[in-house]
Amino acid sequence: MNELQKLRQENLETLFHPKSVAIVGTNKVKGTVPHDILDNILKADFNGVVYPVSPRESSIKGIKAYKYVVDVPDDVDLAILVFPSSVCHMALEQCGQKGIKSVIIISAGYKEVGEAGLKREQQLVEIARKYDISFIGPNCLGVINTTPETNLNASFSREMPEQGNIGFLSQSGALCTAVLDYAQAKHIGFSKFISFGNKADISEIDLLYYLMNDEETKVILMYLEEVSDGEGLMKAAQEVIEKSGKPILIIKSGRTDEGASAAASHTGSLTGKDEICDAAFEQAGIIRCDHLEEMFNKAIAFAYQPAPKSEKVAIITNAGGPGVLTTDAAISRGLKLARFSEETTKVLKKALPATANINNPVDVIGDARSDRYLAAISAAFADPDVDGVFVILTPQSMTDIDTIASDIAQLAEGQTKPIYASFMGEKDVASGINILQKHKIPHYSLPESMSTAFHTVHHFHKNLKTRVYQDINLEKIQSQLAKEFMAKFSSNGRAYIPEVETIEVLQTYGMPVPQGKMAKSADEAVKIAEEIGFPVVMKVVSNDIIHKSEVKGVELNLGSAEEVKEAYDRIHSNAKAAMPDAVVDGIYVIKMVRGSEEIILGIKRDPSFGPVVMFGMGGIFVEIFKDVSFGVAPLSNEEARTMIEQTKAYEILKGTRGRSPRDIDAVIDAIQRLGQLAVDFPEIDELDINPLFVLDEGKGCVIGDARMILKKS
Amino acid sequence: MEKSEILTRVKEVVSSVLDVDNSEITDDANFIFDLGADSMQSVELVAGFEEEFDIEMDQDKAMEVQNIDDAVNFIAEYI
Repeated sequence: MNELQKLRQENLETLFHPKSVAIVGTNKVKGTVPHDILDNILKADFNGVVYPVSPRESSIKGIKAYKYVVDVPDDVDLAILVFPSSVCHMALEQCGQKGIKSVIIISAGYKEVGEAGLKREQQLVEIARKYDISFIGPNCLGVINTTPETNLNASFSREMPEQGNIGFLSQSGALCTAVLDYAQAKHIGFSKFISFGNKADISEIDLLYYLMNDEETKVILMYLEEVSDGEGLMKAAQEVIEKSGKPILIIKSGRTDEGASAAASHTGSLTGKDEICDAAFEQAGIIRCDHLEEMFNKAIAFAYQPAPKSEKVAIITNAGGPGVLTTDAAISRGLKLARFSEETTKVLKKALPATANINNPVDVIGDARSDRYLAAISAAFADPDVDGVFVILTPQSMTDIDTIASDIAQLAEGQTKPIYASFMGEKDVASGINILQKHKIPHYSLPESMSTAFHTVHHFHKNLKTRVYQDINLEKIQSQLAKEFMAKFSSNGRAYIPEVETIEVLQTYGMPVPQGKMAKSADEAVKIAEEIGFPVVMKVVSNDIIHKSEVKGVELNLGSAEEVKEAYDRIHSNAKAAMPDAVVDGIYVIKMVRGSEEIILGIKRDPSFGPVVMFGMGGIFVEIFKDVSFGVAPLSNEEARTMIEQTKAYEILKGTRGRSPRDIDAVIDAIQRLGQLAVDFPEIDELDINPLFVLDEGKGCVIGDARMILKKS
Repeated sequence: MEKSEILTRVKEVVSSVLDVDNSEITDDANFIFDLGADSMQSVELVAGFEEEFDIEMDQDKAMEVQNIDDAVNFIAEYI
């Protein structure tokens, strides 16, 4: 953490726990932002002193108002600026003069409106730097801290949310009010609620670090529209998860991709921005959600209940059909049905009618009242094989819904195993659901959402225990030699680097390059082939020819000196015929590889996350099957292995249907080395290794072809 | 017209539109930050200046004028 980030952490502490607040630019006009912010602070019963600052008013709501913030006679911890953007810089300057370090700038009219707004925003940042101020915004809804010691609603939301242990961060202010409304209906409480707007100073990364140490926050949720510092976000998320064990759930909007179609290489065309974002989040341990409902379904599971020790659940239902649906949903999401002990079966047999199903899923039968549910849930909790309980209820005429809900809440108290519920229906079950929500029992209208939430919580905590943060230690890298090659390319102003030279660079990073050399004559080609051994492959080498096969510039499986000689002449004449103006530098003669699987490796540079490595199944259908995975470099051994395991290619590499297992460790090493190359040379825009031949276990892998595209300087 | 006369008349318009005592209006007072003008009053100020000086100003540029000094210089260009 640098000095500026440390300063922001200090100032955030004051921002969330101020003893005094000035609302700068407020007024008496109800229904306007400057007025409603003051109104909300007062309504929320803020535990501190409030100073309205208004150029025109001598008092507002019976509180003395000051013309300027510098006129306030006492110290002010937090200033909330609600002036129009044209004069906010003047107010911020006065905050600096007053010694205020924590500021929220609500006003819009900055970066989001164009060039003039961007200039105003930069001016705010300059003033903030001058006075060591940290600010949230501009263009935001504000901040809420529900801690009773503070009770700060410094926002223009309609209501103060309930207190809870979920921290919510949002780039969109309007979404915040929708979330607050949604959460209020479901009794979902928040510890901190932060709309960070244009994040001109304090960013989501600073806020993640703040919530890492915030005792009131157990789960962190975020809505993001743009990832401006992907590498910083990943680093912060990893640190927060590792140090605090708090899950981070993010909705990142903008899933569409327009860039891939314009890309020149395989890696480019297989790499969408969103796939990289998915991969980066996964790598950092962030749980990416598609929509608000999914996010809150998972968040309440994390926030309300203990984490399950395993994926084994007991299902208690009063209806067969929903029991089957829930079983299907659970199994298809990787959960397992617990096997009840003899003791549990005995207890259930005694407590339930003869027609009940005493195996898992337990059917307490349609006419069940609260006593049967209680008996079944208690038995399930007591069973050593059960690590979570799902309660399903459908509303029959005799079902005492509210009592069952209350009893579930009571039973759940002090339990070390989680319990989730699904009261199916709408009208009749509404009050029961309300009781569950009030008592922090996660409720889901669908068993599918319930199973997904359970799986997410279990998976997160399992990863937390097993995740190993490894140092990356790659040997035999000749970085100086690589620098010399790259310097030569850039001094010549080249963008496209063909196979032979790309392979030279890859060799300096210890990549498994093929045996071979470039020949300038047929006799030289024969000599090289005899040195490396037959059969060989021969390829045309030319800066002007990108697609060698299209000019018939590649010949395979050449088994004798005679064949090599003939192939040399043929490749030359084919290239001349297809592209008369192309300058042919020579013919590349390499050892033919047999008995291997073909995969593709690549480098792509993402504007948000930086250097990205791609892994996937190779061959001619690579762009159709798109069986690829991504990892943000540098990559640890474990991360590189995960990239392989995420694809179907993994099953093939492991050996399937009698095929021998391939050298996966060699591929992991190649992925790591390629990642390091991408990190060390930001000028590499794209790099393709296609194919990489993966040999049998223990025999390594060999580059079949490679090319590189450098950034235009 | 002398700038001093423009200044006096600008202050009179501002005093009337914003309902502020003339003595409180300094030469560099900002309409919003110092005098508390809201967006509607900013429009009324432009209209007030046009009427007072019998001129027609570029509305977009006029709305960018933020304080008394700038208003005097801006109006002077039209007289």
